[in-house]
Amino acid sequence: MAATATIGVTGPAGGWPAVTYRQAGDQYVMIEYGEHELDLRLNFLVVSVLDRLTTDPPPGLVEAAPGLRSILVRFDPRRTGRDALIERLRATHDAQPDITSLVLPSRVITLPIAFDDTSCREAVRRYVTTIRPDAANTAGGSNIDYIVEQTGFPTAEALYAAVTGTELWTAFTGFAPGLPFLLPLEPGLGLSVPKYNPTRGWTAEGSVGLGGPCAAIYPVESPGSYQLLGRTVPIYDMVGHHPAFATDPFLVRPADRVHFTRVSERELRDARKQVFEGRYRYRIAEEPFSVADHLARWGHDPSRAAGTGAG
Amino acid sequence: MTGTDSPRHTGSGGNAPPPPAIEVLDPGVQTTVQEYPGRLGLQRRGLFPAGPADHLAFRLANVLAGNPEGTAALEIPAGRFAARLRRRGTVALCGADGAKPTLNGRAVPLWESVPVAPGDLLVCRTARGPGFRLYLAVSGGFTVPRVLGSRATHTVGAIGGFEGRALVRGDLLDGMPAGPAPARLRVPPPLRPVYGRHWEVEVMRGPHDPPEFFTEEAWAQFRTTAWRVDLGSDRLSTRLNAHTFAWPRSDGGVAGSHPSNVLDVSFPLGGVVINGDVPMILGPDGPTSGGFAVVATVVHAAVWRVGQLRPGHDTVRFREIDAEEAVPLARHMEYPLDPRHLEQLP
Repeated sequence: MAATATIGVTGPAGGWPAVTYRQAGDQYVMIEYGEHELDLRLNFLVVSVLDRLTTDPPPGLVEAAPGLRSILVRFDPRRTGRDALIERLRATHDAQPDITSLVLPSRVITLPIAFDDTSCREAVRRYVTTIRPDAANTAGGSNIDYIVEQTGFPTAEALYAAVTGTELWTAFTGFAPGLPFLLPLEPGLGLSVPKYNPTRGWTAEGSVGLGGPCAAIYPVESPGSYQLLGRTVPIYDMVGHHPAFATDPFLVRPADRVHFTRVSERELRDARKQVFEGRYRYRIAEEPFSVADHLARWGHDPSRAAGTGAG
Repeated sequence: MTGTDSPRHTGSGGNAPPPPAIEVLDPGVQTTVQEYPGRLGLQRRGLFPAGPADHLAFRLANVLAGNPEGTAALEIPAGRFAARLRRRGTVALCGADGAKPTLNGRAVPLWESVPVAPGDLLVCRTARGPGFRLYLAVSGGFTVPRVLGSRATHTVGAIGGFEGRALVRGDLLDGMPAGPAPARLRVPPPLRPVYGRHWEVEVMRGPHDPPEFFTEEAWAQFRTTAWRVDLGSDRLSTRLNAHTFAWPRSDGGVAGSHPSNVLDVSFPLGGVVINGDVPMILGPDGPTSGGFAVVATVVHAAVWRVGQLRPGHDTVRFREIDAEEAVPLARHMEYPLDPRHLEQLP
């Protein structure tokens, strides 16, 4: 019997954090970078290694999927042994450049946001009516007062300015089809809030929320536990009606940066209508991300203060 | 319902389109078109592979219908389903006992090839157990379009299968193209999966295991408890009864206030996640990632059993095995999928 799920450990060495390999059943291995802390540099490594696993996959690799500081690798045991796979993963790590010299493929996607809009208030209203009438985060019929209180911004306007004033890094996509998990590239911005308890039953497609240290955009109508900030345009289109989704149904990819610009609810409604009519022009610019430039700008410290997210 | 074909599909001359394979009369609870292994390669975009919750019964049904084992076929939760067959061919039903399927009113067996003719009426009744999901394969498979590389229905993403959704009354599914009749086969009783009310599922510990994320005491409770399968279970996850585990930490640190919180990871299919105080086994349409500890992972050889756990009724225990034991178990599970190991019927 395996005494532990940990099946390999290396480092830290040569500018690299410790790497831990954990078993996850007989068809998966989870690779973890560094310690249990929120450090964007670990996520930059995840993006870089994931890219390498895509262009140069080890024999028997089925797929690899990211986390904030981890990669889950699925393999076919008929095509590779677990030990052989880990040997290959170690070699992949050895071939990676030093973290400070990474330049990652990335795009800057500018999206409109209408803060505290009708759909967010409707989600809160349904939650209060059907799930929990007395939660502190629903006071005033929206989550805004609660977010302001938890983040410590003096006013809602100051919160909105912080959200629109920073670039958000897509640490990974997951949970639901195409859902991006976003972290501010500016350290210590303080956008961390506890999640809903219990989970909300309904969220409008396009809602933008905050939960724990992350922001997220809901690609489909779904349950959710992030505090709702506002709403943006669709980021997932399975049918591919809109040209932006013709070749890929998911707008946002890992390592993309998202920048929100504030619009009125009327302007957002108009933009959403244009999306559905295929006329909206998504603002997307290719702009590789230099980790060295980022570190030079913001320093080497772990990029954010401790979060306060709830389960 | 009538015993005659609908006029638009009976024309034999001219340019009449070929008839569909089946016309759905009673869709049951959430019958979907599935394909195995489903939509691989999109977990990083937020999509689990979809595909059958019990891939063993699904694949066996295809083998009996003369198909490659991954061919598109129907997943029928709780067994209830009725359809009018519109083409000549072979069908096979595998999975939940108790659906008591009939063809034109006469009982037909599970785990066996069944020849069918246009106009035949197939009726399956709600199965009260043991087992939960029934699979219907037709010779040649169902020919729904591939979406992102697969015909499997992903219920959350609303893609694949028949228009990205569960079937409704009146749906006409194409398939069962004419071809040579496959050999009639039967899975001999000793090779059939064994169903019951109280299940055992093999898991490997981790990736989040004691002492770092879980206590040894909690792990022992996890392994020895007979977990009740919650009524709220579905293709996303099988939820088990709530339990307050002891954790080695007082909170999740930067990941959150509950000690089950970890910095978000991608989840393995079949991962057992502790969501606060609720253990849940991730199913084929489940969330691909989250901020909760995955204390154990169901091994490939046992994933099919999770698909047969009956919500609100059954119990499940977890038996810990290691990587070495998982290999022969997987081989053993897949043995009946080779048609040479099945019984030939006259």
